[in-house]
Amino acid sequence: MIWIEVELKQKERLLLKCFKLKIPIFDTKESNQSLFLKVSLEDYQKIKKFWFVKVKKSDVTGFLKWKQTLFQNRVFIICICLGLFLLFLLSNVMVKVEVIHTKKEIRDLLLVSLKEKGIAKNTWKKSYQEIEQIKKEILDQYPEKLEWIEILVNGMNYVVRVEERKLEDEKEEKTSCHVVAVKDAIVKDMIYSKGEAVVKVNDSVKKGDILIQGIIKKDEEEKGVVCATGDVYGEVWYQVKASVPLHYEEKVETGKKRWNIRFTNSYYDNFLFKSRLTHYEEEKKPFLNLFGNQFSFVIQHETKVLEKSYTEEEAIDYAVSVALEKISSTLEEKEEIILKKVLKKELNNSTMNVEIFVTVKEKISEVQEFVKEEKIEE
Amino acid sequence: MHLYKTMKNFLFDQDYFIDVWRDYTHVYGIVDIDILTEKTIVLLLEAFQLILKGNSFRVLKLTKNEILIQGVLESFEVKR
Repeated sequence: MIWIEVELKQKERLLLKCFKLKIPIFDTKESNQSLFLKVSLEDYQKIKKFWFVKVKKSDVTGFLKWKQTLFQNRVFIICICLGLFLLFLLSNVMVKVEVIHTKKEIRDLLLVSLKEKGIAKNTWKKSYQEIEQIKKEILDQYPEKLEWIEILVNGMNYVVRVEERKLEDEKEEKTSCHVVAVKDAIVKDMIYSKGEAVVKVNDSVKKGDILIQGIIKKDEEEKGVVCATGDVYGEVWYQVKASVPLHYEEKVETGKKRWNIRFTNSYYDNFLFKSRLTHYEEEKKPFLNLFGNQFSFVIQHETKVLEKSYTEEEAIDYAVSVALEKISSTLEEKEEIILKKVLKKELNNSTMNVEIFVTVKEKISEVQEFVKEEKIEE
Repeated sequence: MHLYKTMKNFLFDQDYFIDVWRDYTHVYGIVDIDILTEKTIVLLLEAFQLILKGNSFRVLKLTKNEILIQGVLESFEVKR
């Protein structure tokens, strides 16, 4: 729309002409010698051509006015936008990661680990929660090397302070010790470098029995005392109970996925668009973090719940495998499961209860210091 | 567009209508304007001629089939 000021003697003539030419007039105002008309930009061009009319001034309104104002101030607006973008960049991009520690090994280790977790130069700034999570992950990753870690955001830099874990030297020189059994077992294997074996392979031992003694004897006469060292492996028995429901539910991905955007801040945490899937698992990818407001792309993988059931035999097999897996997870090198046997199976309320007997070859020895009693001669 | 057409049909359900309130006169359904002065306005509608008489008539809005007039209406006449 445009307001035009026209100078003419017969206002009615212009109005009639406009009506004849089907030029809509949306508003009018009058002054002494002038008539103000509100018309469209196209019609303004037609009115300008009337020979009996003299258009003095024009002024656009509405959307055109906005467009004109924006165009006139385009340099200012572009500068403001650039400034805001620059401010956003400066407050959210980190340009340096500095690890403060005297040892180069620790510094390099941390720089690599931080880079893997997204803390590197020229990356987006991480939120407080993310930094806390990364700190926890790094400490869990290197429990023997790192005692404490702090990641500070200093302007556009990350400053990482770290404390190295210094393990106390546990291997203090012991002068007199035995290797003793820590549980009841049948001895199956012995490896020792110092001391004298008291038991043989296939001997039955009880918890606390001396397996390799530190007192060296010859013909029942004590020749010296050493710290016995060695590993003794024995056959140990366990009874494990496991319960398996015959009917269970399994969550399976259907392959269908939907994109969504999640908006999170300290007061609000929800999707921007309505979620069209009822059962799904989320995969979150943050892409914008501005003043504590986080936007993340979320891939929703549709899942469906399948109801499955075991036969009694399958349930027993599954219970045995779970029990063996549980035991295997505690075993170390050279340790193994020798025998497994189902002792008892009982079906109760659609749950299969199984009792399993397991024989395991495992380390049963432990070094124990002793104080040698000296005879007091009277 | 369907909503717009429905609303238009609901609001403009007659071939013409004439509204008079305070010092405004609104006529919808005009075909032509015969006379347009400060004291007399003669409008041609489909079925009749409408003659408005009064003082200080001024056209506020004018489109292809309606007109909004400001001014003191003293009398009006319908000629078939």
